[in-house]
Amino acid sequence: MSVTSKGRRILAGVATSAVLVATISAAATPAASAASKSGGTLIFVTQQQQLDHLDPTRVYTGRDIAFLNTYLFRTLVAYKYSAGNAGYQLTPDLATNTGVPSNHAKTWSWTLRPGITWEDGSPITCADVKYGISRSFAQDVLPDGPTYAIQYFNIPQNADGSSKYPGPYKATKAEQALYDKAVQCKGNTLTVHLNKSVADFNYFGTYPAMSPVKKSKDTGEKYDLRPFSSGPYKISAYKIGDSLTLVRNPKWNAKSDPIRTPYPNSIEVRFGIQPDVIDQIMKTDSIPNAVSFDGLLPQDVPSYFSNPSTAKRGLLVLDPYTRYQAINAASINCLPARKALFFAWNTQAIIDANGGSKYYGVPGDNVIKPNLGPDYAPTTGNIHDPNWKASGNPAYAKQLLDQAKTQCPDVYKKLTVTGYSVDLPNTPSYKAWTPSISAAMKAAGMVVTYNFIPSGQYYSTVMNTSKQGDVTRSGWGADWANASTVLPPLFAKNGGFDLSQNWNDPAYPGFMKLVDQAMGETNRAKQSVLWHKAAQYAMDQYWVLGIMFSKAADAFGSGVGGVQWWGPQGTFLFPKMYLK
Amino acid sequence: MLKYIARRLAYTVVILILVSMSVYLIFSVLPMDPAALSCGVHCKPYIIEANRHRLGLDIPLWQQYWNFVRGLFVGRTYGEGSAAFSCPAPAFGYSFSRHACVTDLVKEAFPVTLSLAVGALVLWLIMGLTLGVVAARFKHRWPDRLATGFVLVGTSLPTFISGLMMLLFVVIKFNLVSPLDMGRWVSPFDNPVAFFKNFVFAWITLALAYAAIYTRLTRSSVIETSSEDYIRTARAKGLPEKLILRKHTLRAALAPIVTMAGLDFAGLLGGAIITEQVFNLPGLGRLSLRAVLQDYDLPTIVATTLLAATFVVVMNLIVDLLYAFIDPRVRVA
Amino acid sequence: MSADVAVNDAPVQELVSRTPNQLAWERFKRNKAGLIAAVVTLLFIIAAFGAPIITGLWHLDPEKPYVDQLTPYGMPVGGSGISWAHPFGIEPQAGRDVFAMLLYGSRISFTLAIIAGVATIGLGLVIGTTVGYFGGWVDATIGRFSDFLLSFPQTFFIVALSLPLVQRVEATGIAHGNTARIVVLILFFSVFGWPAFARIIRSQVLSLRERDFVMAARSLGASTRRILFRELMPNLWSPTIVYLSLMLPSYLAAEAVFSYLGVGVQPPASTWGIVLSDSINYWQEDPAYLMIPALMLIVIVLALNVLGDAIRDALDPKADR
Repeated sequence: MSVTSKGRRILAGVATSAVLVATISAAATPAASAASKSGGTLIFVTQQQQLDHLDPTRVYTGRDIAFLNTYLFRTLVAYKYSAGNAGYQLTPDLATNTGVPSNHAKTWSWTLRPGITWEDGSPITCADVKYGISRSFAQDVLPDGPTYAIQYFNIPQNADGSSKYPGPYKATKAEQALYDKAVQCKGNTLTVHLNKSVADFNYFGTYPAMSPVKKSKDTGEKYDLRPFSSGPYKISAYKIGDSLTLVRNPKWNAKSDPIRTPYPNSIEVRFGIQPDVIDQIMKTDSIPNAVSFDGLLPQDVPSYFSNPSTAKRGLLVLDPYTRYQAINAASINCLPARKALFFAWNTQAIIDANGGSKYYGVPGDNVIKPNLGPDYAPTTGNIHDPNWKASGNPAYAKQLLDQAKTQCPDVYKKLTVTGYSVDLPNTPSYKAWTPSISAAMKAAGMVVTYNFIPSGQYYSTVMNTSKQGDVTRSGWGADWANASTVLPPLFAKNGGFDLSQNWNDPAYPGFMKLVDQAMGETNRAKQSVLWHKAAQYAMDQYWVLGIMFSKAADAFGSGVGGVQWWGPQGTFLFPKMYLK
Repeated sequence: MLKYIARRLAYTVVILILVSMSVYLIFSVLPMDPAALSCGVHCKPYIIEANRHRLGLDIPLWQQYWNFVRGLFVGRTYGEGSAAFSCPAPAFGYSFSRHACVTDLVKEAFPVTLSLAVGALVLWLIMGLTLGVVAARFKHRWPDRLATGFVLVGTSLPTFISGLMMLLFVVIKFNLVSPLDMGRWVSPFDNPVAFFKNFVFAWITLALAYAAIYTRLTRSSVIETSSEDYIRTARAKGLPEKLILRKHTLRAALAPIVTMAGLDFAGLLGGAIITEQVFNLPGLGRLSLRAVLQDYDLPTIVATTLLAATFVVVMNLIVDLLYAFIDPRVRVA
Repeated sequence: MSADVAVNDAPVQELVSRTPNQLAWERFKRNKAGLIAAVVTLLFIIAAFGAPIITGLWHLDPEKPYVDQLTPYGMPVGGSGISWAHPFGIEPQAGRDVFAMLLYGSRISFTLAIIAGVATIGLGLVIGTTVGYFGGWVDATIGRFSDFLLSFPQTFFIVALSLPLVQRVEATGIAHGNTARIVVLILFFSVFGWPAFARIIRSQVLSLRERDFVMAARSLGASTRRILFRELMPNLWSPTIVYLSLMLPSYLAAEAVFSYLGVGVQPPASTWGIVLSDSINYWQEDPAYLMIPALMLIVIVLALNVLGDAIRDALDPKADR
């Protein structure tokens, strides 16, 4: 969802879940024996000027969802507040259950817990939840959030996919009736009717977009500045570009909330600190209560984790994202040419430039990351091809180019004479890639140019098919532990993130057939096998190149205890953090 | 004289209207669609349309401009139904990415830029005038050579290099300002020490560059006026050199310096982009830079550009009027 | 900005035995600092345009990543990687030779500065002469237009408009990638640069056109074009050269600034500005990588400024004395 200019924390992608997370920590996670305790001020420092959003309907960045759900927003269901694999399980939060499906998973219902309250002490009602969810439909007031409600709720849609219900702010009575039919409250039981079977719809219940909003406190566009809290903290001050301060919410009742453990007395996020300054703070431990919200800069990772005194204040784990370069199959519409790019690419130089495989990651053979669980299986071909070399194989690339010369002279000319373009975010880390890419392409007889796009506008720009280049740097994390949130988004025309523009590729129908089969399969084990096939098929078309199974490197001060990695959202396990 | 003032005033207003129109036009015809840019990863055409409506870009350009101008005088209302809200006059628009009326953003950023500009101005005038007078007084002797050296280095050192060096090798290295407080706005009336610590390095950086120019200007201006007849007369009368310098030469030499200082000051008020960027100061320069590079926030871009242009044009007017006042020959123009 | 304020008119020297050029050259030769600056500048320019020869002699390849000179973490061996083979060290992460990078980068920087300088001067000369000679409504219109142009915040405008304009230039197919970015920078520099110079020229022409030789030419029935190009312009070369020599260093520095702000020329090209803005990321681990390009930039800008002053002193001995 957000590309920060840091490069390590990229990525499109939202909340992520995976079943098996290989936690490769350079340092032992802080011993759980040290008792967690209450008090103190926990400080997060970031170079961002603000959180993308505070409005529950609009927040869609994994880290921010985890942060806000921990401290401010109670959701219907939540991921377990524990490290390791247990963290991927759902647990009831506002509801007493994790969601009850009926009617072939076309109807879902949740019953609310008694004793749940807002920060003013008033009870959270089913109507509040219903109202909160309805806000997602007001796209012209509250954009940027997940649109699952628009897609899945049993509310008629217009031809362009928008809903006939325009959200609560300007709905007519008739329009409001459409929503009231799809989402119903009986007592304290919320029932949602969907337009098709969605077997894992309850995972969407972990999103703040499915959480309550008190109508009388809703300020529309401005709600992003001061959302009303249902969690153990509330906002005492928020100034964009400066800081966000959370203090305890006295009306929060531990008895009604079995999962949250609010240790610090207050939490502060400090915005607009320059990235090298943040890393400097972390290295010198000059502010012991501080946690870097952004992760370390690539050039600081090796020294940080090779020094025992700093390494013990860090997390180095496989993150939820697959980093890759999408090859634009609309402009490079020729398999040998795409293969030539794949085999000419110097993956090793990029790994080395970012601190080596120990700190950055290893070449991948699949867009599905191994930590996604059973849907990952090793593929054949690509990096397992005997001709593949991590530092590029110019001789083999030239052979492939010769094939392309006869098969598609136009593409051949583009690659070798006029030059093809690579889209990169306009940040130092990506700029450091360019010498090795240029050198590798020159060795293989190819010509490359670069489009540097301001990082804040990166994905919006490359998602525009008329502005996308020939090869596009990208990254993706699954929404939850099913390849249905990876393969269709990346390679299906309507999947939402198809940077490969492969819908006119002759191989596309074959791929879609496999996807449709897999989507329709209800047996999870069989579905996994189908995903393996689809992934292999996609890899064989060389729609992407230079896949990287990468790591996240996070840092925190010596005063912070209980720091662990939380797989589902790919960030800190915020609920367990305390001050020593 | 009145007629001249009226004419210049009218001219200033016309320039400002033209600037605002062209800024609006330039940024609207560019192939940067803010509605699509803020659409994000899961973008669909209907979301872009909804965005366009939200940002007020779904109406003809002239109407957008008219809304903008009207907003300046009567304020603006955004959104519909129960989600409506408004920005009071003078409304430069609403920044959807920062959830604030642009006028408020500008109000917040302006004191930072003003502090930066005033502090730097004071510092560079003191440095430039002193060095310039000394250099002129000891023409072609060692103080003059020293001043010339300073002028050369000062004009040759790009501010972003001198600023960065100061930041990295002085401020950060010796931990002079807590990293968390760096660039954080503190009012000089609340906490003068913190305010001073925050700004002093940025002042020095800016002042070094300008002081060099002003040293040169002062020097030649003083030398030139010293050779004027009335100064020679004063000297012939046997007045002490110091008195001549203070009472006659400096006063005459000051005019071009004041003019130039006015214009440079106006330029800085529009936002010292580089210095603010280097020292992380949340002034107008960074406000506009962020609006361009991060979210293409059109209302903020238009407002900051217009404001910067206003400072320049108005200062030009003031300088021209001052000149007309001092030198009657200009009035015929 | 205030078009009506008279600029100090420097009268052209009329001399008997030696031509003004000879006199100027003699004055220039006496200025030691100016001579040194001229030599330094010349060295830089020769180095820039002879980059392939120099790197060839040194057995360096500007594009080759010297991976063996990097630690496994991507930092140069021994901190900065400076050795006999790599006199300015090695670029962190990517591993290119800094000496070769700066040499090749300076070609771009110089080319950009020179073209932009000449374009600025050319525009200013033509427009300044025209308005100065014709006066009247031409003068008024263009004067107002340059007022209008100068009221825009230039730095900000270049930052704001460069990305979309580069896309526009690329769409026309004239230039791509860095060439397009250079074209856009040159356009900006000259569009915002000419009014100041045109103003100087205008005031010169205002005084020149009332002089005898122009009057004489006019009374002999010379065409306007002839008067403009054959009579007036040759008398304007001294302010032109002075202004050009002062414009070059400021454009060199400006290129670096825009690289720092993230617009302008982009890697893998390696102008000084690009190297500088990249080196900031490694200021602690590899300060030499920051200091070397910074020093280079300061030295060349300083040399050009000294040279510019020396030329002005030589051509116009009355000023600044």
